[in-house]
Amino acid sequence: MDQKEKQNNDKDRLICRCEEITLGEIEQAIAEGCTTLNEVKRRTRAGMGLCQSRTCSKLIARIIAEKTGKPLSEVMPVTSRPPARPVKMDVFRSGDCDEKDN
Amino acid sequence: MKRIIEHPVLGRLEEAREVHIRVDGETIPAREGEMIAAALLANGKSVFRYTNKRHEARGIYCGIGRCTDCVMIVNGVPNVRTCVTPVEEGMVIETQQGIGHWGQEGEDGTD
Repeated sequence: MDQKEKQNNDKDRLICRCEEITLGEIEQAIAEGCTTLNEVKRRTRAGMGLCQSRTCSKLIARIIAEKTGKPLSEVMPVTSRPPARPVKMDVFRSGDCDEKDN
Repeated sequence: MKRIIEHPVLGRLEEAREVHIRVDGETIPAREGEMIAAALLANGKSVFRYTNKRHEARGIYCGIGRCTDCVMIVNGVPNVRTCVTPVEEGMVIETQQGIGHWGQEGEDGTD
């Protein structure tokens, strides 16, 4: 595999698995001026999927830190808000938390 | 049936009551109390859903309820994390396409 082909494959690598956002799309957003997790999120939808950035936030923070030279502490944290784990809207309506829905 | 009978850390697999779940119309056996994902893997099923944009196959990834890669339609409810949802007798499970859809199957379609 030559260098160019390898670079193309890297660009196609999924970073946000839920919204299927690739490394190339994240890098593009940073190239266009995004310097925080929130900015990348609003530009690309990375981190807005089902898992709510549980999987990709640290990956994207690292990519931003590498590309911009900012320390990780300035890139993190994203404005994550409760609930800390997925719950159904029904729970808020009824106030009834089913133990099996962890 | 693929299961670890002798586990180096957890020891020998205990006896468990057998229940049956329906997966895309096919009835498969499961151990009472195990997670849906475990039952599917034990029955040789590793594709749980297809992604929304690229239509790629997905199955178990993190296995602890964080990544949501293993979601399926369970009793008509889409986006159920199968790795942290125990099987129940007669459960109806469907392979999920994209973000899924609400169905009428199972005893409680409004859940």
